[in-house]
Amino acid sequence: MVIFADMNHIMSANEFDVIIIGGGITGAGTQRDCTMRGLRTLLIERTDIATGATGRNHGLLHSGARYAVNDAESARECIEENMILRKIASHCIDETDGLFITLPEDDLGYQQTFVDACRSAGIAAEIIDPDLARRLEPSVNPALIGAVKVPDGSVDPFRLCAANMLDAKLHGGQVRLYTEVTGFIREGDRVKGVHTLNHQTGEQEDYFAPVIVNACGIWGHHIAEMAGVNVGMFPAKGSLLIFAHRVNNVVINRCRKPSNADILVPGDTVCVIGTTSTRIPFEECDNVAVTPDEVDLLINEGAKLAPSLASTRILRAYAGVRPLVSADNDPSGRNISRGIVCLDHEERDGLKGFVTITGGKLMTYRLMAEMATDTVCRKLGVDKACETAVTPLPGSEERSYEAVAQKIWESPSTAQKAAASRMGTRARRIRSENRLDNALICECEEVSVGEVNAAIERLDVSTLTDLRRRTRIGMGTCQGEFCACRAAGLLAKAHGCIEKERADLSDFLQERWKGNFPIGWGDTLREAEYTQWVYKHVLGL
Amino acid sequence: MQEFTESRHNFEECMKCTVCTAYCPVLQVNPLYPGPKQAGPDGERLRLKDPYFFNYALKYCMNCKRCEVACPSGVRVADLIQSARIKYDKSAPKLRDRILASTDFMGRLARPFAPIVNGVTSLGVTKTVLDATMKIDHHRSFPKYSARSFERWLGRRAKEQAAFPEQVAYFHGCYVNYNYPQLGKDLVKVLNALGVGVQLLDKEKCCGIAMITNGMTGLATRHAQHNVEVLGKAVDNGLKVVTTSSTCVFTLRDEYPHLLGVDNSAVRESLLIATRFIFEKLEKGAQLHFRDDFHMKVAYHTPCHMERMGWGVFSEKLLRMIPGVEFTLLDSACCGIAGTYGFKKENYQASQEIGQALFDQIARVAPDVVACDCETCKWQIEMSTGFKVMNPVSILAEALKTDED
Amino acid sequence: MRFDTVIIGGGLAGLVSGISLQKEGRNCAIISTGQNALHFFSGSFESMEEAPARVIELFDQAGVRLHYREGVRLMPMGTFRPAALSLEDTDLFPEHKFARKVLIVNFLGYHDFFSSFLAEGLEKQGMQCRIRLLNLPEMEQLEQSPSEMRSVQIARTMDRVWEKLVQEVRVLLKDEDCVILPQVFGLRDTSVPSKIRQGIPARVVFAGTLPPSVPGVRTQMLLKRRFELLGGTYLMGDEVIDAHVHDGLVHSLVTRNFDSHYIEAENFILASGSYFSKGLRSNPTSVFEPVFGLDVEFPTDRNLWYNPLFAEDQPYMHYGVKTDENLHAVKDGVAFKNLFAIGSVLGGTRPEFGSAAGLAIRSALNVADQILGKQ
Repeated sequence: MVIFADMNHIMSANEFDVIIIGGGITGAGTQRDCTMRGLRTLLIERTDIATGATGRNHGLLHSGARYAVNDAESARECIEENMILRKIASHCIDETDGLFITLPEDDLGYQQTFVDACRSAGIAAEIIDPDLARRLEPSVNPALIGAVKVPDGSVDPFRLCAANMLDAKLHGGQVRLYTEVTGFIREGDRVKGVHTLNHQTGEQEDYFAPVIVNACGIWGHHIAEMAGVNVGMFPAKGSLLIFAHRVNNVVINRCRKPSNADILVPGDTVCVIGTTSTRIPFEECDNVAVTPDEVDLLINEGAKLAPSLASTRILRAYAGVRPLVSADNDPSGRNISRGIVCLDHEERDGLKGFVTITGGKLMTYRLMAEMATDTVCRKLGVDKACETAVTPLPGSEERSYEAVAQKIWESPSTAQKAAASRMGTRARRIRSENRLDNALICECEEVSVGEVNAAIERLDVSTLTDLRRRTRIGMGTCQGEFCACRAAGLLAKAHGCIEKERADLSDFLQERWKGNFPIGWGDTLREAEYTQWVYKHVLGL
Repeated sequence: MQEFTESRHNFEECMKCTVCTAYCPVLQVNPLYPGPKQAGPDGERLRLKDPYFFNYALKYCMNCKRCEVACPSGVRVADLIQSARIKYDKSAPKLRDRILASTDFMGRLARPFAPIVNGVTSLGVTKTVLDATMKIDHHRSFPKYSARSFERWLGRRAKEQAAFPEQVAYFHGCYVNYNYPQLGKDLVKVLNALGVGVQLLDKEKCCGIAMITNGMTGLATRHAQHNVEVLGKAVDNGLKVVTTSSTCVFTLRDEYPHLLGVDNSAVRESLLIATRFIFEKLEKGAQLHFRDDFHMKVAYHTPCHMERMGWGVFSEKLLRMIPGVEFTLLDSACCGIAGTYGFKKENYQASQEIGQALFDQIARVAPDVVACDCETCKWQIEMSTGFKVMNPVSILAEALKTDED
Repeated sequence: MRFDTVIIGGGLAGLVSGISLQKEGRNCAIISTGQNALHFFSGSFESMEEAPARVIELFDQAGVRLHYREGVRLMPMGTFRPAALSLEDTDLFPEHKFARKVLIVNFLGYHDFFSSFLAEGLEKQGMQCRIRLLNLPEMEQLEQSPSEMRSVQIARTMDRVWEKLVQEVRVLLKDEDCVILPQVFGLRDTSVPSKIRQGIPARVVFAGTLPPSVPGVRTQMLLKRRFELLGGTYLMGDEVIDAHVHDGLVHSLVTRNFDSHYIEAENFILASGSYFSKGLRSNPTSVFEPVFGLDVEFPTDRNLWYNPLFAEDQPYMHYGVKTDENLHAVKDGVAFKNLFAIGSVLGGTRPEFGSAAGLAIRSALNVADQILGKQ
């Protein structure tokens, strides 16, 4: 069924139908779609999954309402994908609903414009009484003068990305993490492969495929340059803060023209306020820092949505880089599109075998993947319909984690309930017959030995930070004080290399500190001091 | 900008330092209990996400508050656990728990028939029946009921008490009223010796602690509201209110606002354990005259709620003041009874294991009397060690020089 | 209530000063907001250069045996640190290679002890290592709890069944000349570590675990008991919320538990610790001392409080309250006459006092001597 350029050619281990560069949600989703349509796929990622913009945003499952007034097309995409993800990614989704609130300083007249735009985009937006809003979400600013309820939600990007990649692998796809594309192999006007360097082993390897998809987010700018084309992206930094518990259970937005720090999203055991937007130079993309000014702005604006944020402990600060794409090659970048951009470089630049998929949002990843895969299939002459909108991701076969937990365990413990909420039906894979498997590694988030081992076995975990993305260890209040070294013991056992694990543990602590010090005061500073004691003076790392 | 240094959400001040787990008495004996850290601040984050994460094993918490005393961060760990039980545990309390919790109702019912009730509840066959049908452990004895209530005794002396130049109100609690009026009489004796007359409140009700821990929150709240009201009357009249039970005063002061959300700010600072009131009188120059021939070897046990209030030192210093008292301060440790907790068959063994270190220490010290300010500790220690237990107020009363001396 | 001296903070500094004063007949109270940093004590006072006989004696009288020797000690992650004065069950080695062959024994299911890291660290020093896991039936109860396989709970079990452990280790032992065990012995029964040493025919080394530190909890318990036996009043779980100050003198303290009942004294010692213990507090713009509002020096630019690298020295850990040369606490540039500051509330920038534990002990003794009129 695969129509390769040369029918007599027997594919070697390094040859694929399509190579996808980038292990964010777009890359993972594209790989899943391609493999489901029968293609032999390879995904190459420079570091770990979801390390770019995928894991560095709100985790908001937009209803599309935010875009309804200014960008009807995005709004429609959002609401359609929103409804699809609820079905196919239930274990990654929290169906919280959202409020768009009008504060006394906002123009209440905007509310009707907003609701009309939502309705014409197909978003169920309902004006509700401020009293009802206060009851629905007790943390909301009680001074609100208007409220609209919309079908917002939250989505766990790490879980979503891991589930897509896992499904691709279950369909025969291959994944190379910590592998960087160092150059393209070209033949005339065609790209036919990539040179790669594995950062963990130091091995260099060439991989070949008739189509290569650039799904690298902001880093796609350089990948495209490397391939010899110009995409014209602009990096825009967005900073966010994570608060130590779920202050709100309903997404809170401001009902006004989109602005800084006007969305508060509850996600798992925390909530996230964001974001800011600042253009930054490309050199900073790999090392974005949150400034004190941004922190102050986020707290001040956030407290307008939910006043208790002003006295809630902050866990960390982080920033992501959005890939803004200039529409139609406008090098000035004045005409920015926030919509999905799928470029067939053969049509656009005369470069065969190269496709760029970028723009869009976390929660429209599936549609982006579908568009990219359609392009790939067209190029390969494959005619198979996309099924990602109707096929649940692994783990999402049940609608609720309560149902999952009750089916697996007679009387589930808190940790087992938590595991079911993180892994969905895949929680079945957690060994729990031996009571030692139930021992907690991460006490804040209730992650057991069994869950950690299940992640190590199935989800390509090299480092503690990888493990964090797949299990939430180290994401809780203490930010890895106890669980990091416990999990390091399990990783060392699985990988058999203590020396590497020692360095990994240091890297993990550094990574955690990076997000702590921008908000280093009060309880966060106390915790930081305690972590210093534990690792430097007690353990002697 | 963040106006507050530390989080206003008390559970977020938890540094995950694990100190509380080293001091939880239940953890040492019951592996089914998740421990104060897991059950408290850790569990709270998950419960805020979804009440589904509530763990019914929180019922094993004795509410001794030792985690709170140990916490370097000031987290009200036990309050978090008890609040979670109040908020999320939807199972109705069992009949047994209702009976154990209704200390004043039972007292009112039983008192007129005291000799019969006392006879029946101490019968082996009754205990076996209670054990089998109600899951009240057969090792336990129900406290004896007194034929005459303390309220009636003091009521008859109201006039004589009113003659004293200074007045104090006494929240006697169920135990003094129905089971052991002598303690109340001892208090009156000591306070009178200080020139202080004792008044009753305008119909106090049971403090409600047993109702709180047994899931009868609604009733407990009604009691709390009533008590705050009658306490308010006394306080408005310029009176301090004393108790001889550390748990009663702790409940009135701290559990009402923290667990029941009943505002007691108008009366809180006027509520004192009797030994603190007496100590303060003496510190201000009042004098007590003690017998010359008094001798007693006393070992003081700090009840958990006394430890939580930080007031054990008042009882300690008073006892040390009595000439002829040979004083030992026992290591602060839970005796295991925790109110009605130890009465339940499923907790009996844990309860005894928890108290073992204390029982051993008492046996080593071999005092004439163990002193403590809590009636349930008294039952537990007397049952488990055979040593006599007295309230510090009763020891003071016994040591006082009276007119006859 | 009135005392000769009231000490705010019941950690190492508070206890050492309290014991020293109480021993000389001064009536002292210690007010402690819960337990303290001794619960994370590593077992060693890293940089006490000379053998302080006085410290050894003070601890000895409390039942805490210290030993002194210039050397290195083994850290739980398999690294070494220079150390001198240590608890009896914390070994000090003249050189890194302290054995030929080492048997590392851990308990099955115990994740707070890092046997593989230890082995890797020791092998780097040329010692052969073998790791074995023990599965004692007596640990079954602990294994049932997902979160409570912790050092102190194991220590409680081991207080009872240490003989069984000795037997099992003897069976595991082949030709090793050294056995490393997690430091989970002697919580109540302080003789257990030495009994284990006697029972095993090889050198026994105890390596630390994740907190709570069993030797730390034990040290805290014994020092507190010593203070109380001397007649001191230890107010556990109370918090000083205000102070009455007049004319450069502290008159009394207001605490949460005593509310309107003020605590008075001749002298006051602030031993309230650093950030963790809330002796120092911080908000987005300042670092401050919450009880008296003492002077604290810190840069106004928050960015300068931190080194972005976790492993590097952190500037914020050096901020502390200002004192005069006699450790009198300073407010608005003026030193209090009867308020001293000791221990980590002073911050980490006092090289003359050595490490945190060294700073705690020496500043405590210094102030006790001043109050006793010995200086």
